[in-house]
Amino acid sequence: VNQDPNNEDPGAPRRGRTALAVLAAFALATALLLAACGGDDVGGADEEEVTVAEAEGEASGNLNISNWPFYIDNKTVPEFQNNTDISVRYNEDVNDNSEFFGKVQPLLQNGESGGRDIMVVTDWMAKKMYDLGYLQNLDQEAVAPAKENLREDLASPAIDPERDYTLPWQTGMTGLVVNTAEASDVTSINDLFDPKYEGQVVMLTEMRDTVPLVMKADGIDPADATKEDWIAAIDKIRENVESGQIRRITGNDYTKDLANGDAVAVIGWSGDAVQLQEDDPNIEFVMPDEGCILWSDNMVIPVGATNPTAAYEWMNYVYEPENQAQIADYNYYLTPVTGVQEVLEQQGSEAAESELVFPDEEYTANCSTQTDPPGSAEDVAEVEQEFQSVITG
Amino acid sequence: VSEKRSSPTRRRRITPYALLGPGLLWLLVFFAIPMYFMGELALRSGTLETGFTFSWDFANFSDALSRYDANFVRSFLYASAATFLALLIAYPLAYMIAFRAGRWKNVLLFAVVAPFFTTYLIRTIAWTTILSDDSFVVELASSLGVLNLFETAGFSDTSDRLLATPVAVVAGITYNFLPFMVLPIYASLERMDTRLIEAAKDLYSSASQAFFRVTLPLSAPGVVAGTLLTFIPAAGDYVNVLFLGSSNQSMVGNAIQSLYLQLRDYPTAAALSFMLMFVILVLVVIYIRFAGSEALMGDEEEAR
Repeated sequence: VNQDPNNEDPGAPRRGRTALAVLAAFALATALLLAACGGDDVGGADEEEVTVAEAEGEASGNLNISNWPFYIDNKTVPEFQNNTDISVRYNEDVNDNSEFFGKVQPLLQNGESGGRDIMVVTDWMAKKMYDLGYLQNLDQEAVAPAKENLREDLASPAIDPERDYTLPWQTGMTGLVVNTAEASDVTSINDLFDPKYEGQVVMLTEMRDTVPLVMKADGIDPADATKEDWIAAIDKIRENVESGQIRRITGNDYTKDLANGDAVAVIGWSGDAVQLQEDDPNIEFVMPDEGCILWSDNMVIPVGATNPTAAYEWMNYVYEPENQAQIADYNYYLTPVTGVQEVLEQQGSEAAESELVFPDEEYTANCSTQTDPPGSAEDVAEVEQEFQSVITG
Repeated sequence: VSEKRSSPTRRRRITPYALLGPGLLWLLVFFAIPMYFMGELALRSGTLETGFTFSWDFANFSDALSRYDANFVRSFLYASAATFLALLIAYPLAYMIAFRAGRWKNVLLFAVVAPFFTTYLIRTIAWTTILSDDSFVVELASSLGVLNLFETAGFSDTSDRLLATPVAVVAGITYNFLPFMVLPIYASLERMDTRLIEAAKDLYSSASQAFFRVTLPLSAPGVVAGTLLTFIPAAGDYVNVLFLGSSNQSMVGNAIQSLYLQLRDYPTAAALSFMLMFVILVLVVIYIRFAGSEALMGDEEEAR
C-alpha cells in the first residue's frame, strides 16, 4: 500500500525503533506531567473556619455579579456606576441552581470564585455551599444599612437564622402559569394531570419546586413530608412523563413553551408570568388551590471574592427603597425590602397594586416554604437521584 | 564521507516526527492527560461532601451501565438513524454540487456551510420555533398524514406534535451534522476522474451500472469519513434532546450532564463517559473493518 520509495527494507526496523523511542518519550512526558499536577483531591468539605469577607476603606474597582436572567431592569446598574467609583460586570449566568453549582464547584473548591464577588442562589443552594465552606460570612457592620430595610419576616430563615452569610435578592412564588385562553379551568396542581391537557403540561427541573407542589396536591404538607412521600410524588411525575401527559421537564425554558403555544399549563415562577404577559395577555400566574412554594434567592459572597467592599456598596444600594422599587417594578417578584410599596404607589406604578409583588396573607395562606427533602445527606442524594432518573428517562 | 551522507538521511528520518510534534503535544495536553484524569476519577468513590477517594471502584462502570442502559440504546439508535438520513440527503446533494452545479458550485458549497455561521445552540433553539405545535410545518405534516404515519411506524408516541418526540430529535441531529457528511463526500467526488465514467459507458455499462461500479466505490472514502464524522459526535450529542426532545428521548449525553452537573456524581459520570467512548470505538473499528480501512485512507485503487 505504502509506495514511499525511501522505504527500503533494511531501514524498516530502525524506523520502528525510532517510533518506539518517540512513544516512550511521549509516555514519559505524560507521566511526568501527571505526577506534577496529579493527586488533586476531588470534593470534600473544607475543614477551615468560615472567614468574614471584610470591608476595607472606600469602595472602588470592579464588581462582578452572577445573577439569574430577567432579574434586573436595565437602569439600576448604570445608575449605580454613576453614583460610585465602581464598575460593574453583571453576568446573567445562573440558570439553574444545580447546574451553576456544577460549573463553579471546581473553582470554589480551590478557594477561587472565577472573579465573582456576588452570586445569587436559592436558599437551599446557599446552605449547601456554606456547609462545603464555599461562602464567606458577611461583614455585619458593612451590610448593616441594607439589613435595616430587610423585611421582618425574612430576618431569620431556617437556613441562616442570623443572616450571617445571605441577603435576599428577591423572593417569589412557584405555582401555576396558565394560558387562560386554552386552559381557563386549571386552578389546582391536580388539573395538570387531567387527560385533556395531555402533552401540554410542563414541569420544572428545580426539584424543590416541582415535587413539593405535586405532594401538596395529594394533601401532604411538604414541611413534614417523609422521604417516602418525596419518592411517591416523584413516581407520580415519572408515570405522567412516561405516559406523555407531561410534555417535558425543563428549566427556565418553559417560558418559551408557553409563548410558542406548546404548553398551556405549567409549574412556573410568579415573576415570569408577568413578563410573558407583555407578549400574550392570556398568560397568568394562578395561585394553586393547594397553595404555592415560597422561595428566596440570596446574594452571597463566595470564597476568593476579590472586592467584598464593593459588594457591600451594591447590597446597600439595592436595599434603598427607591432603588429597589425600580428593580421590583421590572421583575415583579416579591421584594425583600420594606417601604418599596409606598415608593411605587407614589410613582403610580401598577406593581404597587399587584398581589404577586405584594401578596396579602390571605393570598399566600396555603403556601409552603421551600425545603430540602428530609433526612441525612445520603437521603437527600437518594431523592435527588430518583428525580434525576425521571429527567434522564 | 559516510558521516556527510548519513546526516541528511538522519534529518530526513527525524523530520516526520518533528512534523508530528505539535499534533502529539496537542493530543497529550487535550486528550491523554484529561483521559488519565477521567480514568482515575471513574475509579473513585464517595460523595462531594465527603470527598471522592481513589479506590479502584470498578462498580462505577457496571452501575452506570445498568442505570443508563436505555440511554445507551437510544443514543446509538438515534445516531444511526441520523447518520443514515444524513447520507441519504448528502450523497445526491454532493453529487449534484460536484458534477452538475456548474457556475453555482461555490454558491452551493457556501450554502452547505452557511449554517455554521450561527452557533449550534442557536440553530437548535430555532428549531423549537420551526417545529412548535402551532407552526406551519406541524400543521402541514399533520394534514398530510405524516404525523399519523410516524405514530403508526412507531417513530413517535403521538400524532399531536413533532417536538418532544424521537422524530424531532433525529431530525435535529441530522440537520446539525449534515455538512460533516456533505463535505467529505463532495471532496471525494470532486477529485474523481470523470473520464472513468465515460470509459465505463464505452464498455457498455448502463448509467446505473456506471454509478454503482465506478462512482460509488470511488467516493467510498468520502462516505466512510462522512459517516464517521456524523455518527461519532451524534452518539454523544445531548443538545438536541435538551431542546427538541423530552425525558423519553434522553440520550447518554444527557445522562452524563445530569450526573456531572445535577447529581455531582463525578465518578459515575466519568465511568459513563468512558463507556460511551469505548462503545463508539468498538463500533467504529467494526465499521472500518467492514468498510475497509483503505477506503478511509483514500487509496483509490484499493477501494475498488
